[in-house]
Order: sequence, then C-alpha cells, then structure tokens
Amino acid sequence: MEALALHIPTDVIDGPTSLVFALIAVLAVGWCTVAARRGLDDRLVPLAGLATAFVFAAQMLNFPVAAGVSGHLLGGALAAALLGPWLGVLCVTVVIAIQALLFADGAVTALGLNVVNMAVIATFTAYGVLALALKVLPRTRVGVGAAVFAAAIVSVVAASAGFVLQFWLGGEEVGQSLGAMTAAILGTHVLIGIGEGVITAGAVTAVAVARPDLVHALRGTALARPAAAR
Amino acid sequence: MKKFLITGTVVTLVLAGFVSLFASASPDGLESVLLTGCETTDGEITGGSCVLQAAGEHEIGGAFADYGMSFLDNEILGASLAGILGALFTLAASTGLFWLLARGRKAPETADDGTA
Repeated sequence: MEALALHIPTDVIDGPTSLVFALIAVLAVGWCTVAARRGLDDRLVPLAGLATAFVFAAQMLNFPVAAGVSGHLLGGALAAALLGPWLGVLCVTVVIAIQALLFADGAVTALGLNVVNMAVIATFTAYGVLALALKVLPRTRVGVGAAVFAAAIVSVVAASAGFVLQFWLGGEEVGQSLGAMTAAILGTHVLIGIGEGVITAGAVTAVAVARPDLVHALRGTALARPAAAR
Repeated sequence: MKKFLITGTVVTLVLAGFVSLFASASPDGLESVLLTGCETTDGEITGGSCVLQAAGEHEIGGAFADYGMSFLDNEILGASLAGILGALFTLAASTGLFWLLARGRKAPETADDGTA
C-alpha cells in the first residue's frame, strides 16, 4: 500500500538542527498560548475546535498540482483568517501533533521542524499579508476573498522556505544541488499555494457571508455590499 | 451558532471520511522534491539516489499509521474510518484544550467564592 506521508520524515534533517527547531517551536507555541488566552472567550472555543478539525480533514485532501505531484492544504492561512495569529498557531500545532503521534505522518523528532514551518511561519505570514491586504482592499466578499487568496499563497511559499533553511542547516544533498532543490521546492509550493488560496478563500468567504462575526480578520465588521455606500 | 457548528462538523466529517478517498495519491510537494534522483514504482523507491532514502521508519507507527487501520482487511473502509475518527478526535482534543485555555484565563477575574 502506498504510504501517505505529508510532512518531514525521520532522519532527513540532522539531530542538532531538529533540536534547535524544537526549542524554537516550544518558545513560539508557548508565547502564542499566553497571547491567545487574552483574546479567547468561551464563545470562540467551539469555533476554534471546529477550525482545527477542518484543518485536519483538509490536510488529507491532496490535490494534483503537476504531473505526479500533489499538494495539500497547510491550514495556516485559514486559521489566521478565522482565529487570528495566536490561536491560529495553536490550531495548526494541534493538528501536526496529532498527525505525528497517531497517524505516523511527520516524524516525532521532526515535530519542531514541522510546527515551525506549517504552524508558526505559515500562520504568521498569512496573518501579516492578510492584515496588509485588508488595508487596501474593500471589505466585500471579493475583497476579503482576494486578501485571503494572496495570504495563503505567500504563507505556503514561506513555510516551504522554512524547510529549505532547515535543510541547508541540517540536511545532506543527495541527487541534486541545494540550489536546484530550493528552486523545485519554492516553485512547487507556489502551485500548492494557489490551491490553498482557492480552498481558503472559499472557506473564509463562506463563513464571512454566514457569520462575519466569526472571522477574526474582519474584526467584528460585517461584509460591505459591493454597491452600498460605506 | 449551533447551526453553523453542526454544518461545519458535517462538512468536516464528509471531507475526512469520503472526499479524502478521492485525494491524489501522488507524493506531495515536499516528498516529490525529496524523491528527485530516485526511480519509484508504486510509491516504493526502486533505484537511483535521493534525499528520501535517508528517511527512517516512523518512530511510533501504530495502528492508524498513514491514515489507515492496519487491523481492518478493507483498506477503503479503514481509510474512511481513520479519517472520520481522526477528525472527531481532533475536534474533541482541540475543543478541550481551548476550553481549558479559556477557563484558565477567567480564573484571576472570578473572585474566590470559597467553593474551590
């Protein structure tokens, strides 16, 4: 049976590098836990749980991006848009931990590497792009969708750049140069980011239309009607 | 809120238990780049040299490894159930964790009423 392996497996990045990133992950997630607490009220808890389960499910849905290559949602952009950066990081971290501990997806020793890339880098990058984009784009369905789409693409490429950094520090070149590998990783993840952008924009605009109060990025404001005066 | 949460949960379970069966089986972006230089047949490395050859077995493995159920003969049923149970477990675990986090936040605000 074909193995469905999605994240960094065992022994691809050396021990010292994995340990350093494990420490970075612990510090970052700890900081997010403290910060998330401030904005977390009971009303948000079920939404955060549902978003986490949705990210888990969506990560299983590999879509083709090129011949023989697939991609899947990372979820950082979705979590950032719905829950904000702090809770968003925790949401993706829970998914990655469950995948590594129960589903043998992503090495336990690589947990720090995977959490830094997909939870910390992707979520914070997505949130930054989203905040900037929403300053210039109108808060309409199209405007929010476009902002989320852009945030998702940048977040996925940034997460893949995180892996390139980790591989440069603690990986061993085999069969291809680091330069060729970097180009391949970043290029493939632009395509995956487009897929992530479409899915995330669809999901976030669906929530924004039904319950704009549940979209953190909108900060409690309803979507403006495209034709209506502000 | 209830309607929204129920709809979201149903969508999530359908994605995890049914739509996931139609997901692409090709290696993902990371894996395909780590496989560059190797020849593969049905997902197994058969020749050449690439980064992924260095990868060892997963430290834990377990009955649900690779989103299946090793104790079920039916692979499709196993994959579907693993997806559904995984999503439900994720929902329960994260809701529990976030609930504890929200509850912890309130502790200093609520005056000690002696009931501990």
